[in-house]
Amino acid sequence: MADLGVMALLLGLALSAYSAIGAIIGEKIGMAALVVSARRALYMTTVTAIVASGALINAFVQNDFSIAYVADHSNTLMDRAFVWVAFYAGNEGSLLYILLALSVISAISVWFAPKRLARSMPWTIAILAIIQLFYFGVLAFVASPFELLATVPLEGRGINPLLTHPGMFSHPPLLMGGLIGVTIPFAFVSGALIAGNYGDDWIDVARVSAIITWGVLGTGMLLGAWWAYTILGWGGYWAWDPIENVALMPWLVMTAFIHSIMVQKRRGMFRMWNVALLNIAFVLAQLGMFINRGGPVVSVHSFAASTLGTIFLLFMMVSLVFAFALFLWRMPQLKSDRAMESFVSREASFLINNFLFLAVMGVTLWGVLFPVFSDLARDVSVSVSAPYFDRVNGPVLLGIVVMMGIGPLLPWRKTSARSMKQWFVWPIIVGLITIGILVALGIQRPVAIFSFGVLAFVATAIGEEWWRGTAARHRSGDNWALAWWRLVNGNRPRHGGYIVHISILMLALGIIGTNFYQQRTNGSLALGESLVIDSYRIEYVDTFDSSRPDRIAQWAEMTVYQIDPDDYKQEISFAKAQGSSGFTLKDSTLRPNDELIDTIEPWHGFYIDFNMASVRSGIRSTVVEDLYVIPRDFLADGRVSLAVSINPLAWWLWVSGPFFIIGTMVALWPQAAVERRPARKRLKGESEGEL
Amino acid sequence: MPILLGTLLALVSVVVIVYPFLGSKKYRLVSESFVTREKLRAERLRIYRKISDVEADFTSGDLTEADYQHQRDQLRIAAAEILKQESGESMPNAKRDEELEKQISRLREQSAASTEAPEGGDTL
Repeated sequence: MADLGVMALLLGLALSAYSAIGAIIGEKIGMAALVVSARRALYMTTVTAIVASGALINAFVQNDFSIAYVADHSNTLMDRAFVWVAFYAGNEGSLLYILLALSVISAISVWFAPKRLARSMPWTIAILAIIQLFYFGVLAFVASPFELLATVPLEGRGINPLLTHPGMFSHPPLLMGGLIGVTIPFAFVSGALIAGNYGDDWIDVARVSAIITWGVLGTGMLLGAWWAYTILGWGGYWAWDPIENVALMPWLVMTAFIHSIMVQKRRGMFRMWNVALLNIAFVLAQLGMFINRGGPVVSVHSFAASTLGTIFLLFMMVSLVFAFALFLWRMPQLKSDRAMESFVSREASFLINNFLFLAVMGVTLWGVLFPVFSDLARDVSVSVSAPYFDRVNGPVLLGIVVMMGIGPLLPWRKTSARSMKQWFVWPIIVGLITIGILVALGIQRPVAIFSFGVLAFVATAIGEEWWRGTAARHRSGDNWALAWWRLVNGNRPRHGGYIVHISILMLALGIIGTNFYQQRTNGSLALGESLVIDSYRIEYVDTFDSSRPDRIAQWAEMTVYQIDPDDYKQEISFAKAQGSSGFTLKDSTLRPNDELIDTIEPWHGFYIDFNMASVRSGIRSTVVEDLYVIPRDFLADGRVSLAVSINPLAWWLWVSGPFFIIGTMVALWPQAAVERRPARKRLKGESEGEL
Repeated sequence: MPILLGTLLALVSVVVIVYPFLGSKKYRLVSESFVTREKLRAERLRIYRKISDVEADFTSGDLTEADYQHQRDQLRIAAAEILKQESGESMPNAKRDEELEKQISRLREQSAASTEAPEGGDTL
């Protein structure tokens, strides 16, 4: 199968080179058949990428350890379900996956491209083919997943234990697919600019492909956070790690883009700005690839391969120069049709939100690159950690949430004082009431309280929009549910956006809760002993061995009791005096009000070949808070070492995911056709639709 | 076997990319007029959609009546202008107005009443 994989990669390389050259020459000399041929060559690259991927997957299924990549990333003990994960678990396989994703989405987008873009399609095809050419070249000559071993081992090394998690079936593919997906809107817009198509013909393709990419990337990041929360064993979900950041940055810029493209669509403004945003997103995606492939920034997620780092750095530099040279060349023709009429308008609010997104991106980029600059300039190795990102990005992110409430309430063009009053009164009142209630309840942390007030403000703003729109339709005879459905159905991009906003509010709720109110404690328990934190008592009742030849692993069975703190007054005040959030109890006797509420089974494994530990946290999740138990280690004396935390509102982080996906799909769902395309007579043997 | 499959893949690829030069179908680059027609149509559909959005904004109270009337008139003028360009001078003014009204009411009906699965619009 290695031979087939290598042949497919070489064939894909030749086809993508032909596609790029054929499209450009065909367009230049006006030879239609050559452009058609180039386009078909692009489709065939998809077939070759599928064949190469199939060959590698088949090698995993067959345990073909003659292939170095298969021997390095699987073994016979591995659960067969993880073959798909093993496919992209390493550097070479992940590059092949990226190529597969790129070729498939390139073919789909070219196939469905609207006819009005016919003149720019050869350039779009050429750009897509050149990017594919790069990946085929890297895979064929620098990082081949089909390299053979001189001596075939009897057993493989196995899959990275951290990847044996359900989230890994979708998190890496979505993340890599999202990053490479930025190529599609970039290629369409760049193709249009090269062809001299300065109008808004590319808006719909760019918007749709950008939203798909953005949705995929966002879902991938959220799944990554969930994976980190359940398996990495540090109790968090986002660490501002460089690899997380390089996925976040293009996502932020794409978020800005999908807002500002609406201004171009509705008001014919921001054309230049939108092109610049797409360019930035594309270059940032390339930066992500570079850092992921052994760039200079250290990350737990990156693949250590320094030669590839240089190649990807060069490719990123070429992308940067190309994107912005093209932008500068066409800039005079990209000026907007009209100017902004008022700074208190929806378009102005989108512009402010764009600046805020770019500010977060800039702060994050600086945090990612600063260690490199420091190393180069002062020969001092530094790392930028979470507090920098939290402190600088936190307020800006809150500003974005505020704009999420303000923007949709402002009308296009300009706003009157009367309409401001009409729209903002209730959201402000509800926001203030929320703050008042939290203060009255004795909740601490002013910043968090203010943030909750902001969330209430935004939620009310969305509710008010829906309420008024639904009420207007209800007055014309529809029942309430139908009226709301028709409201949403009448403008899906807008109302899909509101559903996404609701998901962001849920995410923000989780972030505020876990960042401001988390409680932690550590302890080690023998069988029968308990650990108490807040209103929970966790008793270690049993242990099970689940070791295999490649790992030493144990489960712990723990019962969780809800306690009445009054029953533990003495111990709690002693722990508080010691500055601790929890304490251990050697006595297994239950107190009068202890109520059994759950059983959790945290797991800890150590993988010998990888010299790596992996955990599954025991989590009891409710709408209000998560009880989160990390088994740090099973000690030689039979005790288990635990890190336990209470993570308030963490449940909302994960429930935001489905809302995010539904909202994105609603926004994407095409509006019904206004008119059917008229049938055209074709000349015999002619195919105008081909180009 | 893998070598055979690889060779077959290469042969299929060659046939697929060479076929446009040898087949009976004659390809030609799209004419300027075809592209212009497509662009005008897309622009007109975009304007219809904007009219629908403006109406929805007005219904929801996002727009004052004066703003609504102004924006709707501007958009209708723009749509009529495009219809004029699309049809050349062949279409009489009354027919053009009638066509415009027809399209806008169809869109209004769709946005107000359509709850069925859409068939795709001017986006992808």
